[in-house]
Amino acid sequence: MTDTKKAIKYFAKYLKPYWKGITVVIVLSLISSGAAVIAPTFLGRSVTALTTYLGDLKKGSAHIDTFYSALGSMLAFYVLSMVAIFIAWMVMSKFNADSTNDMRENLFSKFQRMFVRYFDTHQDGKLLSLFTSDLDNIFNAMNNAIFEIISQGIRFIGTIIIMFMVNAQLALTTIATTPFILIVSIILMKKARIYLDKQQDEIGDLNGYITEQINGEKVIITNGLRQESVDGFKIYNNRVRSAMFKGQFYSGILFPLMNGLNLLNLAIVIAMGAWMIISGQVTTAIGLGLIVTFVEYSQTYFEPITQVTSIYSMIQLALTGARRLAEVEEQPDEKAVPNGEEISGLNKGVKLENVHFGYNKNKEILHGVSVAVDKGKSVAVVGPTGSGKTTIMNLINRFYDVDSGKITFDETDIRDIKLGSLRNNVGIVLQDSVLFSGTIADNIRYGKPDATMDEVISAAKQANIHDFIESLPEGYETQVSDSGSVFSTGQKQLISIARTILTNPPFLILDEATSNVDTVTEEKIQKAMDAVIAGRTSFVIAHRLKTILNSDKIVVLKDGNVIEEGNHHELLKQKGFYYKLYTDQTAFE
Amino acid sequence: MKSFKILMPHFKRYKKDVILALVAIFVSAFSSLYQPKLLENIQKAIMADNRDSVIRDGIWLIVLGLIAIVAGIFNVYFAARVAQGVTSDLREETYAKIQSFSFGNIEEFSAGSLTTRLINDMNQIMNMIMQLFMQMLRMPILIVGSFIFCIIIIPRYWWATVLMVALIMGFGVFVLKRMNALFGKYQVKMDEISNHAQETLQGVRVVKSFNQGPQEVKKFNQTSDKLNDYNIVIGYWFSAVMPAFQLIAYLVITLVVFLIGKNIAAHPSDVTVVSPFVNYILTLLWTIMIAGMTMMQFSRANISLGRIKEVLDTKPAIKFNENASTEKLGGSVEFDDVTFTYPDGDAPTLKDISFKVNAGEMIGIVGATGSGKSTLAQLIARLYDPDKGEVKIGGHNLKNVNETALRKTVAFVLQKAILFSGTVASNLRQGNNRAKLHELQRAAGMAQASEFIERYNDSYDHEVEERSANFSGGQKQRLSIARGLVAKSPILILDDSTSALDAESEKKVQKALEHELPDTTTFIIAEKIVSVKNADKILVLDDGKLVAEGTHEELLKTSPIYQEIYNTQKPREVRGEN
Repeated sequence: MTDTKKAIKYFAKYLKPYWKGITVVIVLSLISSGAAVIAPTFLGRSVTALTTYLGDLKKGSAHIDTFYSALGSMLAFYVLSMVAIFIAWMVMSKFNADSTNDMRENLFSKFQRMFVRYFDTHQDGKLLSLFTSDLDNIFNAMNNAIFEIISQGIRFIGTIIIMFMVNAQLALTTIATTPFILIVSIILMKKARIYLDKQQDEIGDLNGYITEQINGEKVIITNGLRQESVDGFKIYNNRVRSAMFKGQFYSGILFPLMNGLNLLNLAIVIAMGAWMIISGQVTTAIGLGLIVTFVEYSQTYFEPITQVTSIYSMIQLALTGARRLAEVEEQPDEKAVPNGEEISGLNKGVKLENVHFGYNKNKEILHGVSVAVDKGKSVAVVGPTGSGKTTIMNLINRFYDVDSGKITFDETDIRDIKLGSLRNNVGIVLQDSVLFSGTIADNIRYGKPDATMDEVISAAKQANIHDFIESLPEGYETQVSDSGSVFSTGQKQLISIARTILTNPPFLILDEATSNVDTVTEEKIQKAMDAVIAGRTSFVIAHRLKTILNSDKIVVLKDGNVIEEGNHHELLKQKGFYYKLYTDQTAFE
Repeated sequence: MKSFKILMPHFKRYKKDVILALVAIFVSAFSSLYQPKLLENIQKAIMADNRDSVIRDGIWLIVLGLIAIVAGIFNVYFAARVAQGVTSDLREETYAKIQSFSFGNIEEFSAGSLTTRLINDMNQIMNMIMQLFMQMLRMPILIVGSFIFCIIIIPRYWWATVLMVALIMGFGVFVLKRMNALFGKYQVKMDEISNHAQETLQGVRVVKSFNQGPQEVKKFNQTSDKLNDYNIVIGYWFSAVMPAFQLIAYLVITLVVFLIGKNIAAHPSDVTVVSPFVNYILTLLWTIMIAGMTMMQFSRANISLGRIKEVLDTKPAIKFNENASTEKLGGSVEFDDVTFTYPDGDAPTLKDISFKVNAGEMIGIVGATGSGKSTLAQLIARLYDPDKGEVKIGGHNLKNVNETALRKTVAFVLQKAILFSGTVASNLRQGNNRAKLHELQRAAGMAQASEFIERYNDSYDHEVEERSANFSGGQKQRLSIARGLVAKSPILILDDSTSALDAESEKKVQKALEHELPDTTTFIIAEKIVSVKNADKILVLDDGKLVAEGTHEELLKTSPIYQEIYNTQKPREVRGEN
């Protein structure tokens, strides 16, 4: 219930700016529905007029004008109804599109303000489906369902009122079956819901099986398990088949059932009309007119019921989508510290002081880590996987905040510095390089969009990647394909190093790539890193020891604690954990 | 609609259901068509004051409604049976086809695309079949039927009905063409939106650390606004369609009723015709509109059918000789002048490779990333066939062997350790489904996996979750090695499969391989020279060519490329740089 409320609140928020348009649409819908309801009465009247005229003809004193004027009125009301609905829909498609656009743009800009934690704990695919699937569902429902419900509702009530005004007895007959129909459709919709959910679950399982099998196809082939794989598939496939059959059957019969009931209702109405004529309650002329009119009404009356049952699932999807979007909007923003200190350049150094941190409240990763990086020095952190090395980078750039202790930049707590200013002064090179679509030059000048081509080239040269770029047919204008697959992991890392060099940050964090880079490329990256570090204050997170032998200081991190500290030679002499790591990794005996 | 053919054999299996669905659709279409005609009869009977015939036709009307309900439900039932039956069978056929593909075939399609085809495209097809048997086949009956009734009821004004259909069709086709063009542009923008969102999600740390959030928002909004423009124009066209169609219908109705009135003196019975005529004209209008929408859905399903057909029409790139012996092939391996290019590659990955390995030898393969190490190993398992030259195992050219024999002969431990959901034992038994528990234990022991497996209360029955999320990278690699060892094949290939192991465990695994499998031909592909130092022979690959072979000591003296690799792996101080 609160979920639905959340979703409705979300819609209300985004539709509010368009209240003028919405008012116009509602007024026009009223006019259009009213006209559409009134128009058939004139068809009935024209039939009555014609019948009377026929009778009068025999008497010799006939006037056909009533017929013409009734017919003219009918056309006028239909035209009015259509024109009104046309304008209403035009207005509606404009503000529906605009408000969906607002949702989309707000969602994206919200993403830019949120904590990294959110993205670390949610799958990209699921977040992307907010743009592709959820917003689409919302747009569809706004166009086809929500205002359909409003206009059908108006029509439904309007029809009932007019029916009673025209003839109460026939009106009662028309709506008599409604409670029964509603009960039947609610039962069916509930049942369909259950089986449709089951169907989704079974499809999900089949999807999981296929993904696992095909992604592990090399294992399947090399172990000769292909027939077994097909046999396993059959089991899942059969489950999908029977679940889907039920889902499709129960959701499918609603429509023919409504159609049939509509026919049945029509028969009842006609029977009642005929009985009224035959029993002499009304004259034949009036009776025929009534029958014609009520045949029309019972159809306009039934349409909303049939329509709502068929857009039911559309509305469900839109509500789910709106709830998901609302939940994203509820997420906290990063604290930008607008009144914080503005910094430019590093004068003393960066310090971690007794830092405690955990990604989850109940699992601490860093247990009181203190590291000092003095201006102009290079400090390296080493340690086994899971020791918390990369976490330190996340903290210095404020992707996450410390739980206790503090990190200082020139002795100012980084939480008291303007977020933008802090990040301008801290440059990072990530473990997994990310390139964006666009040209290589665009990517290198990413952090400084107004950089000149000379600056770009000089950065590329320092990063040891200029020659490679020049060897491409289109050089710096080469497009980076979506997946960035034309470049090897090593080349991507070099381009991202160039990107960081260009912004010339006073403090630099380098997170070494762990992925399979062969040792020759690794050497190139090493040289590029050396060039970047030279003359800068830097913090290197090393996964391979030989890259950091020249560091001014090496900090050994194990299980979230600093266990050794010193330069390479000092640490080797200690014959402690570092010594063991080093001899293991470089063993050539 | 050529792709429709792939459904035909499956429809045949459900002949009875197809026929019953068709009968039901015919009955229900007829009942909704006949109803206005019955209405006309009743009105005539009332005019003529014929009580009996009013009651008779009134009862008929009720019967008709009941028939419509029953026929409708039967129709859905049989349509769902046909749709589920045909799609399930087709899905199974497609999956079996995929399992007959060579690995190259699968890569060309990509795993993601094959999964989408089996799930999403099949759903489209299923919906289409449902629609076909519930709606589409009813359409021609309804359109033709209501068209004929419109004319029969008042033949003098046949041209009015024709006029309406012509106007609606003309306008419909005009709008459809516009819309298709717009939808194309819309889709392009939508892809841009989703790509941009995806990139910034994946690169969220880069965006934030360079303070480019506002910049990205600006870029995104530009694209989004363009998308919105298309959305609005599409919306405008949509707004026009329905009112325009209805307006056309009402104009025609007014015209006909006007003419009826004008000539009523000459044809007094026409007065009862008005209501049924209006009914039929409106039925005709709705049917044409629904048919139009169903057609749009069909064009989507047709694309899906095409994508399935593409899979079914693909010939497996590798065929095994089913008539050959299923016995193991032996432990020697020979490459004779082998050249190989990946299906989507433009330059060969392996060039003129020749070497010979005797049964029981341990072979190391080293070289830079992209030099062709893994490719070479995959040719031994015949995941691909060479463009030129021959790969022989136990003296048999792989092109002439039985698949069962080859799989028994070669065990392959992949670079990426993949486990399947199930248990530890079920994963290890993939190597040999008849392996006894003590055999699993032995293999796990050699792979250094026993220590963690035996720590579980349910040891070998411990569950492997989906995406093997409950195992670390190192554990997965050890299990994957153990799986290869369970097979006890004459040839074992380890493709850089110890990279996530710590140095100590790696050493232990290597020792176990050396001492416990003296008769097994072992290929070890490695980035680190230390992993292959003790091999009987090391093959050095560079840019797809075999540039040197020999023992570690020999290569250090003779091969400059081997020396370079060796040097980059030495600590700096050993190199004398510090």
